[in-house]
Amino acid sequence: MKNLRVLLVDDEIMIREGFKRLFDWEAHGCEVVGEAADGMEALAKIDSLVPDIAIMDINIPIMNGLKVIKTARMKHPEMAFVIVSGYDDFSYCREALRLQITDYILKPVNYEEFGTCIDNLKISMFRNKITDEPTETRTIISITKYLQDHLAEDVSLTVLAEEFHLNPQYISQLFKSEIGVNFLAYLTNIRMEEAKRLLLGTSLPIADISERAGYGDYRVFTKVFKKSEGVTPSQYRRDFLES
Amino acid sequence: MLRMEIALILIVAFIAYMYFSAQKQNTALHGTFSVLLMVVLLNLCLDGITVYTVNHLDTVPRLLNDILHRLFLGSMVFVIYLFYHYIALLVQEEVGRPSRAELPARIFLALALLCNFLLPIEYIITDEGNYSLGQYVAVPYVAVMFYLVLCAVLMLVNWKRITDKKKIAIGIALLIECVVSVLQGLNHAWLISGMGLTLMTLSFYLTLENPEALRAELTEQKLSMLYLKSQVNPHFLYNTLDTIRIRAQLNGDREVSDLLMRLVDFFRLSIKVDRAMVTLDDEMELLEAYLELMCMRYPDLHVDYDIDPELGGAPVPNFILQPIVENSLLHGLKNKGYKGEVTITAKSVGETRMEILVSDSGSGFEEGKKAEIDALLSGYAKQPPKLTGNSIGMLNVQKRIKLLCGSEYGLSYTENETGGVTAHVLLPLKNS
Repeated sequence: MKNLRVLLVDDEIMIREGFKRLFDWEAHGCEVVGEAADGMEALAKIDSLVPDIAIMDINIPIMNGLKVIKTARMKHPEMAFVIVSGYDDFSYCREALRLQITDYILKPVNYEEFGTCIDNLKISMFRNKITDEPTETRTIISITKYLQDHLAEDVSLTVLAEEFHLNPQYISQLFKSEIGVNFLAYLTNIRMEEAKRLLLGTSLPIADISERAGYGDYRVFTKVFKKSEGVTPSQYRRDFLES
Repeated sequence: MLRMEIALILIVAFIAYMYFSAQKQNTALHGTFSVLLMVVLLNLCLDGITVYTVNHLDTVPRLLNDILHRLFLGSMVFVIYLFYHYIALLVQEEVGRPSRAELPARIFLALALLCNFLLPIEYIITDEGNYSLGQYVAVPYVAVMFYLVLCAVLMLVNWKRITDKKKIAIGIALLIECVVSVLQGLNHAWLISGMGLTLMTLSFYLTLENPEALRAELTEQKLSMLYLKSQVNPHFLYNTLDTIRIRAQLNGDREVSDLLMRLVDFFRLSIKVDRAMVTLDDEMELLEAYLELMCMRYPDLHVDYDIDPELGGAPVPNFILQPIVENSLLHGLKNKGYKGEVTITAKSVGETRMEILVSDSGSGFEEGKKAEIDALLSGYAKQPPKLTGNSIGMLNVQKRIKLLCGSEYGLSYTENETGGVTAHVLLPLKNS
């Protein structure tokens, strides 16, 4: 899996410095290839560097971030955009959602949270790839299928190793090289996806959903869910029902 | 007749005393009213003096009499102008732009004063009393007519944009002056101009410039200042704190950066939620942000949560848990050097109610304190509005729960067997 190329767009140099130096891009399989401080510069860099991901502030000079995304989308439909903004106004979020951005992260940026966002992006890229080429029968695909079917259980690298007669170390490396995230991040991601599906598609109590998503203790589940989605499970369900 | 003038002077002087001793904002409107009061007083004095001099034509020199009369009517014209100016300012406050009639009104004032001092004057002697006449007397009549018409036009043109209170004030003043002028015009010997001015002043004083209204205005201004202060662009605050946080982390200071991160979280949450009722999730989020900060400041402080996940969407009064937890920390755990635990539990009680418990392992109630707090919380309605210290927080929580949820719900305290106290918040459970 080759490194993802990242463009940083924020008008404040300190924020860009923080992103560059405080987030472990290497560990998340990314590299920062460029920076921009205003909307025009961002568009120019997007065209010249063609990054995989653009990290965008909304409130930037000359042309605001949402407009930049709208314009860049036409030329580069594949590009992923992550909005990083101090504004949690509903109108902004709504417009951002319409632009099909990958994520909307609130300032101040928690780099751990940001890491989850990058991991999720990679996992969804991986998923798109395997649905595009369904005939592939690589080991990683069997492993992810197994995980999908057994996510309510206590799965771990050791369990997988026994099931597939492979070295746990090797499986761990496989996740890194094929998907670009570590095993635990992948497992959490699919568990959260399952939880979200159950929250919206069923009226099961949250304690049950927690169990079905592989969390014996709902308090742990609530904590992980909150960290990953920004809201608690019950809030997530409510927001969906209200809209 | 002199007795009426003296009475009027006393009335206006009294109004002036009340007015100047009241605290008020420093606005053009109040400034105009202040000048108006002083000039009306001067006018009433001149009124009294001329009533005396005009009836003693043989002893008072003619020139002095002339000057006093011209000054008297001149001040009257000026008062009428000030009335107009005051009304124009009132309208301007509502409409937002100055009246176009201001310049003509000033030119007219200058002309009127000029005529008043130049046109011939004569004195009429009657049995009912003497009075002055001559062309100069026409000046105040014309001035009254001119300015009254101007005010009326001003009011009618902006009718929809002026508040009812101001309409009434202006209307009454115009009506009084109109009636008095007509009466004075019909019977020259009545000399009731002073009464008209006094009544007009009085009507403005009572409707717009009384101490109550001034105080309300001051309070409103203070509140809006506070509001503005609290409105200092929160994004400026977040962004600055974030810059500081990143700087700290770049310098390798992880602890400072974590503290700042939590602080920003807390600020953001406390600014965001401005409704009376919020979901338990929202309330817990704010509480967690607060407790994380406290735990960072006091490493021996531990917090444990046990919140039934099904209750996350239940509506609760906004900002009730933080004051309760703050009490636990300040009165229970502080005495133990902030060493200990706070446990926050939320569970349903039957189908229709839920209970939130805040339990601490602190020093517990002092001797007699429990009874005192029980009395305070059960007699919440009778408590005087101003209490000092922490009981105000507790009482405020109690009052809000009772008000928003009903009197059967509320806050109470029990003592733990293992030490420390537990706050019980009983709330209705309406699952949305």
